[in-house]
Amino acid sequence: MSEPALEFDGRAVPFREGQTIAAALTEAGQRAFRRTAKDAPRGIFCGMGVCQDCLVTVDGVPNRRACMTKARAGQRVTTGEPFPALDLDARLPEPAPARVLEPEVLVIGGGAGGLSAAIAARAAGAKVVLVDERPVPGGQYYKQAASGAPLDAQQSEGAALVAAARESGAELLGGVEIWGAFDGPLFLAEQDGAALILRPKTVIVATGAYERPVMVPGWTLPGVMTTGAAQTLWRSYRTLPGRRVVVCGSGPLNAQVALELAEGGAEVACVAELAPMPFGKPFAAARMALADPALTLKGFGLLRGLRRRGIALRYGTALRGIEAADGGLAVTLADRRDGSRVVEVDAVCMNAGFEPQNEILRLLGAQMTYDAVFGHLRCTRSETLETSVPGVYAVGDCAGMGGAPAARVEGRIAGRAAAAATGHGEAYDLFAELRTLARHRRFQRGLWRLYDVRPRPPEPGQGETILCRCEEVSLAEATEGHGRNPGHVGTLKRGTRIGMGRCQGRYCGPVATRLVAGWSGAEIADRSFFAPRVPIKPVSIASILAAQEALDDAP
Amino acid sequence: MTPPDVLVIGGGIIGRVAAIELATAGATVTIVDAGTNAGSHANAGSLHVQMQSRFIRLFPEQAPNVEAALPLYKQAASVWADLEARIGDCELTRQGGLMLAEGEAQMAFLEDKARREERRGLDVTLLDRAALDRIAPWIGAQIVGAELCRDEGKLNPLLAGRRLEAECRRLGITVVTDSVQALERAGGGMVAHGRRSRYAAQEVVIAAAWGSGVIVRDFGVDIPTRAEPLHMNITEPCAYQIAHLVQHAERPITFKQFKSGQIVIGGGWPARDNGPDAVPSVRADSLLGNVALAARLVPAVGRLRLIRTWAGMNTTADGGSILGRLAREPRVTMAVPGDAGYTLGPLIGQMAASIVLGQAPPADPAPYAPDRFAAATA
Repeated sequence: MSEPALEFDGRAVPFREGQTIAAALTEAGQRAFRRTAKDAPRGIFCGMGVCQDCLVTVDGVPNRRACMTKARAGQRVTTGEPFPALDLDARLPEPAPARVLEPEVLVIGGGAGGLSAAIAARAAGAKVVLVDERPVPGGQYYKQAASGAPLDAQQSEGAALVAAARESGAELLGGVEIWGAFDGPLFLAEQDGAALILRPKTVIVATGAYERPVMVPGWTLPGVMTTGAAQTLWRSYRTLPGRRVVVCGSGPLNAQVALELAEGGAEVACVAELAPMPFGKPFAAARMALADPALTLKGFGLLRGLRRRGIALRYGTALRGIEAADGGLAVTLADRRDGSRVVEVDAVCMNAGFEPQNEILRLLGAQMTYDAVFGHLRCTRSETLETSVPGVYAVGDCAGMGGAPAARVEGRIAGRAAAAATGHGEAYDLFAELRTLARHRRFQRGLWRLYDVRPRPPEPGQGETILCRCEEVSLAEATEGHGRNPGHVGTLKRGTRIGMGRCQGRYCGPVATRLVAGWSGAEIADRSFFAPRVPIKPVSIASILAAQEALDDAP
Repeated sequence: MTPPDVLVIGGGIIGRVAAIELATAGATVTIVDAGTNAGSHANAGSLHVQMQSRFIRLFPEQAPNVEAALPLYKQAASVWADLEARIGDCELTRQGGLMLAEGEAQMAFLEDKARREERRGLDVTLLDRAALDRIAPWIGAQIVGAELCRDEGKLNPLLAGRRLEAECRRLGITVVTDSVQALERAGGGMVAHGRRSRYAAQEVVIAAAWGSGVIVRDFGVDIPTRAEPLHMNITEPCAYQIAHLVQHAERPITFKQFKSGQIVIGGGWPARDNGPDAVPSVRADSLLGNVALAARLVPAVGRLRLIRTWAGMNTTADGGSILGRLAREPRVTMAVPGDAGYTLGPLIGQMAASIVLGQAPPADPAPYAPDRFAAATA
């Protein structure tokens, strides 16, 4: 039997069952998926449906995310165009019947926190629905394989958690994109083109985080992606991001993925870690080791693995720029001692920390404070992880970085509390859980002190650096725009179109906020960021029509 | 006569155009703008000339004021084109606006409306479905006909805003972010008290839309300017194929494609008012209703994705513009537009500047005199 194939720009591209279009194209060596309004090529970047940069036309439908769309045999895929023609003769697509669900506890997000919350709420007796954006639950930490056996202990642990959630009797819905969050609360979502309307009694938001990139000239080139995107390609689809890769930024994920990719057969040029060698921080390391000896050991194992494979972990090394060269990428790295060096690769992985996916929380009006250490917003929560909005809970990284082990505990606490709030069980006796949570948080504090994820503005000397991938706004243009009309990020948005694109300013928004604060000498607060807007993610007009009809018919 | 020092309160379309005219005539101009909840910043860029069905239905008592002012709208659309010629490309086109009818009753309503509009000098034609198909075959099958108003058009307000800012910079106009709380006479001039500072000038132009009434309440007028938070939607870009501004004879909608490709859907669906200092927020029913209506009228957009919604403040008073010097305080000139204020903006701005400069305005301001709001107990 010949393997299935899709067609990309007229050429056959084979794929394996379960692979996304992005994985199939990457495996076939196809880097550029679309062209922008300024005719720049773009490919897979975030790998998790956030950046909206991997858009292709699929069977005549423009602007489908290659990273979230499953490959199918005979599918006609073409390079995404900036201005696809409307088929003016088209009739309205017949909407699939909309569903209205009214669970006692709605869990949004199927990662470590969400799955734990669903299990706990269900165990207490509540009627639970869990929705997740990806077809397969597990989230970004447990990254489940689209097919085949678990790769390692981390995937096995995730598989066990997913299995427990399924067995708990909670309803698990995959491929659900929530695009609207309103008071009530009322959530509007799209699932396989059909409208889904959710009116829960309580909601646990567990939407996790997305990666903070390293904004340097060339970071939008095809072949440059987040470390998590590369990890998803490998762990979920057994696809390497490239033959020869370099991993840049800061944080434990970079070394882990470098080792995973090397074990998968990629040649890793090096891991460029921005933070200095950790020997200078014995107290942070000791605190981390005391808080969680097992995870600390895992970290040492990782370093041994890299050494064994001869992969250099270069501390104090920054990414300076990326250029397209000879069908590959020429990457300039700089360290404090011997200056800059250029490595030639065909894929660059980058992660410089994380940004919480807090759009739903902010839309619902949950109170946030700015955490200057991580450079992102933290959601204000009670001991039972309820936000300032009654009945709305937040667990895991969406409330501010905390890591998967903490997210699991938070999920258990919030799951019990939300169930209790709907008349199931009592959420007392949290002492043991809170103690565990405190230990995980101590570990995290020690861990992040070893790295350098302080948000830093792009190099002022590199004005050509793109800040807004969607609208192609450079640092120089943003600087000039602020000079014309200083003082507010909303004004900068109107003046330069920064943050007006499909990704809703998820990458440029935090950077623009910090730049404007820096330029105008203002403190950063919740309202310094772009105002959150619906749709949370782009949504087809047909799906909005279906939701409108369903709500109109409702009593 | 030496051009005066002028303070313009409000930096939207009217304040900017008035400031540009005044500065061009040699006046020293300062614009003070609060920077929150402006109408122009959130506007969707329709150039309205025919009467909007939404307005007639929602504010029937104000409709006669709008009808009487129809020639002003026609002139205003031309002034916009002149303004674009002066400040640079705003993606402005005037290929007409369609108001769609879904049945015979709506068609009859349009027939009557078209007759009245024709009497006021508008270039309108009624189209049956066959005629509509010749210019806009992409309109949904349930539509039986339309009124075409050739005076109508559209532009990209973000682009226009940037052009106006650049022109103000070029002319050396000072723009300050502050919220004016009170206005008083001081010596031979006026002083405005902002939250941050005070501003003295010989003449003041009030172009603060819904915030205008309260600023002048101590000058013998009770102008009922109200903020009306409205909802808008925008899609991702596609090839430029839809030239007309599209509206409906009975239901609130404006539908248009910017030349740069994105489709904007608006038309006066309500947003949630969060007070004068917080941005209004989007309501689920407005988003669903407005976008679903657009999909039914133009089915080709069904596969497009909506990428953003927002809300901004429209201003209503009595439907008519409020333009001219205050009888009790002639150093204060009101410049608040009637319905469809963004369309009227450049013309009202020019008229206000003419009044301040003592020149003949481009249209007769008499019907819009602010003294029709003279306070009962002044």
